[in-house]
Amino acid sequence: MSNSPESDYVIRDPDALLMLEVRNGDDAAFEELMRLYQSRLVIVLTHLSGNPDCAEDLAQDVFLRVYRARDSYVPKAKFSTWLFAIANNVAMNSLRLASRRREVKLKALESGQFGVTPFDDLLIASSGQIPTRRLDKIEMRRIVRVALDALNERQRTAIVLNKFESMSYDDIAQVMGLSRQAIKSLLSRARIALRDVLEPYMRSGKHPNSGKGS
Amino acid sequence: MMPDDASQLISDEQIIAYLDGELDVETERKIDHLLATNQDVRKRTNSLQHVWDALDELERPNVDESFTKATMTLITARANHSVDDHRASLRRRTGRWILAIGSVLTAGIVGFVCVKGLQSNPNRQLIRDLPVLENLDEYRSVQSIEFLRMLDRTQLFGSEETDED
Repeated sequence: MSNSPESDYVIRDPDALLMLEVRNGDDAAFEELMRLYQSRLVIVLTHLSGNPDCAEDLAQDVFLRVYRARDSYVPKAKFSTWLFAIANNVAMNSLRLASRRREVKLKALESGQFGVTPFDDLLIASSGQIPTRRLDKIEMRRIVRVALDALNERQRTAIVLNKFESMSYDDIAQVMGLSRQAIKSLLSRARIALRDVLEPYMRSGKHPNSGKGS
Repeated sequence: MMPDDASQLISDEQIIAYLDGELDVETERKIDHLLATNQDVRKRTNSLQHVWDALDELERPNVDESFTKATMTLITARANHSVDDHRASLRRRTGRWILAIGSVLTAGIVGFVCVKGLQSNPNRQLIRDLPVLENLDEYRSVQSIEFLRMLDRTQLFGSEETDED
């Protein structure tokens, strides 16, 4: 006799078991889940929203949603997949709301949460001729940040989950509600876009378009 | 240097899936072989890996116990608040139901009374016609209602009764 999918996930995923304890009214189990995931969640939400302060608020919102959904929780996937699917929805709603309020993303970046400056400012700051090894860590971080923010929302989500959560294509597909092949293409396009922006910097400190007279 | 045909057969998408460990065994072996023998594939793979590693430069903010406590407090407060909201909503809904049922009952009673009042009662008609029915034979023998009215106007029978009193 085979086990139900629910019991399969509970056996394989201790976090799903913890969530079932939360469903049974154990708040200590919820606190444990929060400790396990809060930093991971804040990292992902930071890079999806581009703002660490906002990321903490969003993470609280995600945990609140999880807590409110505890009574109806049924482990149909890994707990982390379920959690990051909620996080993805929360982040996308927040970005859409911000977009409706005409909070241009560059404005937030300029406000200095990461000390990031727009791409052209970085070009001036780096003098355009500094070799890779001389780009200090902070400047490199700024450039990578700008390159990541230049991706569209879906590409950025896939990249962040792949990079920071080491999620498989199948898990990312579940979080984003897409097919595995779609995720493969999405990640490929995103990484090629990142390469096109970052490689010239890493090789010679040059802006990718600086030689085109634009 | 132009890339050779073997390198052209491998797409960037395949190289990225190879770096992510998401390829089937056969394609993985093919790329392993190309990496060992083809400089262009090696260069493209290194470039993509290098860019991927550059993302490690991004910040990884850490949250501490104070975040856990603050979040737990917030969640408990909001959960309790939502329970209170739910109870208040339940009270409001119950009140609305009682009001609705009361209105329906009142409307029903008022409607019943009105219909009863408006409905013609056949017995009432019979009671009203009872004096006529009691003297129906006499009225038939007279045959003319005009003649009776004339007798009534003369007060011929009425004065007799008065004299007897």
